Amino acid sequence: MKWFPSFGFQRRKRELQEEIDAHLQMAIADRVARGETAETARAEAAREFGNIPLVQDVTRDIWGQGWLEQLGRDVRYALRQLRKSPGFTITATAMLAIAICANSTVFSWINGTMLRPIPGARDTGELVSLQRGERNFSPTPPFSYLDYHDLREQNRTFSGLLAYHNDWIALTGGAQPERVYIANVSANYFDVLGIKPVLGRFFLPEEEARAIPNVVLGYSLWKTRYAKDPAIVGKSIEVARHPVTVIGVAPEGFVGAAPGLRDDLWVTLDPLGTDGWRMTHRDSDWLIVIGRLRPGVSRGQAAEDLDTVMHHIVLAYPDQHLGDNRVTLDPMWRSPFGANGFMAATLPILLAFAGLVLLLTSANVATLTLVRFVSRRRELAIRQSLGANRMQLVRQMVLEGVVISSVAGAVALVLTLWTSKTFAWFFPANSIPLILNGSMDHKVVIGIAVSSLLASMLCGALPAWRSSHAPAIEVLKTESASISGGSRNRKLLSALVVAQIALSLPLLLCSGLFLRTLRNLAAANPGFEQDHVLTASVGLNIAGYSNDEAKLIRRKILDGVSALPGVEVASLTDWIPMTLIQKRDDAYPEGYVPHPHESLLVQNAEVGPRYFESLHIPILEGREFTLNDDETAPRVIIVNETAARRYWPGQDPVGKKLRVGGSLQAVIGVAKNSTHTFLNESPEPMVYMSYFQHPGYETVVQVKTEGNPVDLEPMVENAIHGVDSRLPVFDVRSMRESTQMASTFAVIESTLAGVFALIGLVLAITGIYGVVAYRTQLRTHEIGIRMALGASRVDVLRLVLVQGLWLTGIGLALGLAFALGLTRVIGRMLYGIGANDSITVVSVVMLLGAMSLAACYLPARRAMRRNPVTAIREL
Amino acid sequence: MSTSMSEKDQYKNRIDLLQGTLDMLILQTLQWGPQHGYGIVQALRLRSGDVLQVETGSLYPALHRLERQGWVQSEWKQSESKQRARYYRITAKGKKQLASDLGRWERIVEAIGLVMYLKPEESES
Repeated sequence: MKWFPSFGFQRRKRELQEEIDAHLQMAIADRVARGETAETARAEAAREFGNIPLVQDVTRDIWGQGWLEQLGRDVRYALRQLRKSPGFTITATAMLAIAICANSTVFSWINGTMLRPIPGARDTGELVSLQRGERNFSPTPPFSYLDYHDLREQNRTFSGLLAYHNDWIALTGGAQPERVYIANVSANYFDVLGIKPVLGRFFLPEEEARAIPNVVLGYSLWKTRYAKDPAIVGKSIEVARHPVTVIGVAPEGFVGAAPGLRDDLWVTLDPLGTDGWRMTHRDSDWLIVIGRLRPGVSRGQAAEDLDTVMHHIVLAYPDQHLGDNRVTLDPMWRSPFGANGFMAATLPILLAFAGLVLLLTSANVATLTLVRFVSRRRELAIRQSLGANRMQLVRQMVLEGVVISSVAGAVALVLTLWTSKTFAWFFPANSIPLILNGSMDHKVVIGIAVSSLLASMLCGALPAWRSSHAPAIEVLKTESASISGGSRNRKLLSALVVAQIALSLPLLLCSGLFLRTLRNLAAANPGFEQDHVLTASVGLNIAGYSNDEAKLIRRKILDGVSALPGVEVASLTDWIPMTLIQKRDDAYPEGYVPHPHESLLVQNAEVGPRYFESLHIPILEGREFTLNDDETAPRVIIVNETAARRYWPGQDPVGKKLRVGGSLQAVIGVAKNSTHTFLNESPEPMVYMSYFQHPGYETVVQVKTEGNPVDLEPMVENAIHGVDSRLPVFDVRSMRESTQMASTFAVIESTLAGVFALIGLVLAITGIYGVVAYRTQLRTHEIGIRMALGASRVDVLRLVLVQGLWLTGIGLALGLAFALGLTRVIGRMLYGIGANDSITVVSVVMLLGAMSLAACYLPARRAMRRNPVTAIREL
Repeated sequence: MSTSMSEKDQYKNRIDLLQGTLDMLILQTLQWGPQHGYGIVQALRLRSGDVLQVETGSLYPALHRLERQGWVQSEWKQSESKQRARYYRITAKGKKQLASDLGRWERIVEAIGLVMYLKPEESES
């Protein structure tokens, strides 16, 4: 039997025991053979062998130089030391756990959104999102099918380019129509993303542009509506009253290519053959395009390549490409299509704030640790003179920090399991299929480990390294004279306090700015009525009514809702402002020569008669739409002030013509500017078209109510169902509730910044209090002597306060410089307030200064009230 | 605790004192064939005419150190008397070490001998 050399400590211990036993057995056997009795033989052999545990001990020392055993000893020592001061241990662990959790929470949100842009897709780092023309924060689909097709066939830098277009649609045929989010996709869609079906197949290249009614189901739809029917492939289902054949089911977790949005099912680009126009016209931009870069190709090279192809397209079809046609590429984590554009603008900054909180907390814990090491100076010195070398001491002190940070990291990990899921709470009820939330995986765990490591370095290693410099003999000799731990430690303590104040100031300032932004947003006038307005969406188009049926139903709904008691005005629209939804189309004003590279995309909406009246948007010139502006009448539009000024500066816009949506239309009125998406947007041109001339894809009934709009919800819904009980009605909401979507990010920013600033304030104040109190206590003796020699109480107060004020002053000065640099970064996230708003700056500085002063005053007062005689006696 | 500490230190000092010599003696013993700890003690005692009594507190740390250094290898085997014991065997590296230890030892003995047996008239000449 072969015994492998073992590295396991326990096994080696067992083997040594066995070896010694064998030694004794053989010695006994020899003695018995020589004629001794078993009794004496055993006793003599044991005596001859000597102290067995000691032999084991010295032998183990030979292999005890293994680092693992030594580490175990050091960890046990560290735990024993920490147990001795539970107050410090619990405080430090709790503070670090909160700080690490702040980081891991924000990181889990980033991880769940920006770092997982397309769940299920292969290697999303290779994917890029294509944008054409002027860069925009939330652009509309930029490509026509034919342009996409040419880019796909002629580029040399992509292994694949896919295209998709999202829309709402209704699943009919069941007991209840179900509103689902559908995507028209190019045939290579799943292939480029690297998705394999769980059932059936995906689309074939030859099916892409042909009218073949095939559908691929999303996993959750297959599960909920079709109970995971294993024989679903080949079956016919009804989409918007058209029979379509299920050809496959997508895998679990895959929800489409638009980050943060959930597709329920996928069809080809024109499955019913009803969209021939947009399949054959280059001026119909409706596709969002994502490409997979060939290995080794950079984004810059790919953009150049696409620009070349695009240039040829523009030369060949100049009339369909009037505006800016440059192609820009974004990695998926900041793709402007879907939610990641918003995420990328918000979350990294919040992570930076969380990082500040971690630094601040580490500085605070480092202060506590340093004070602890100074008070353990004698112990350390004795151990050093007993032969412990400096490296060993430092290692043991560092280990205490590592133990605390590791426990804090573990606590943070558990907390993050819950906090990562709180991200979804920030999003109010809305009509977007959002699936935003944080997610926990190995990346978050690594993040927590890195944070813990950083924290342990800052709050363990730094003080340990400084403390270990104290020469042992000096420490032991000078019992009390240098009790404050030498000037080196004093300097480090001061630096740490200054750092805490300097780090908390920017947190406070940013949170102040965010909170005031939130207040300004709530108080701002968006230019339209938000109270007393109710909107309800009707699934007319998505339910598959014919155009004539739909036209009739719309009129009936309008009449029915208008007649309700409590309704002042009812109108129709296909768009609700400030819900993050936008519609854009190219607009060509007659006689207007665009600047080179000027984008001609304008936002537009189809609105019915009395729309502006229902929202209290004043018509500055001309008139509003009426019921007579229908398909039989000349095409008419209303523009906003910005559009009027831009296209016809210094002229009367009424009567001017604009080509939009495929036809030339006459301006009949100018509406006052109102907010489209965000309150802090710069005014953009807007074109309103007449609802009854261009029936919008969405049908939203908009009602101006006399009283609380929420009270009217059931009546409006009933009135719509009174026209046709099968009509899907959804997203019935007050305007106030809908527009909350626009301030979601301000709410996220101010909530987090507020929490972080509060943590920062508490830490900075307790930090300065702790240090001043500690130093004052050490100077009790000195203060007693000063008082005995005639110093007044005011002198003592001044003595203590001055050192605290110095630290505060330096901290505030450094912090202010840092803060003013940092606020520049958040400048564009603010509303109604400058990044260096003097009122906020002054109040934050005063707040922090006053709190620090109070924190210094408490120990000062205590020192002042001491009896000098007892103070002198005390050491 | 304190007594055991000092005892332990005492042992260590003795190891240090004997270290080079003990290592050499062990390696030499193993030259004659693989042996267990008890066997090494017995062999050394017999061959030294009962003069050298190796302490177990020195022997086992030495054996384990020699194994760490790769000069000996150990293996669990049955002894003639059916006792399972750990047998140590000298390696090629160990043989080289033994040769160099022996060389050093001879030089030391020679040098000490020169000092000890020096005749006064020789030193004068």
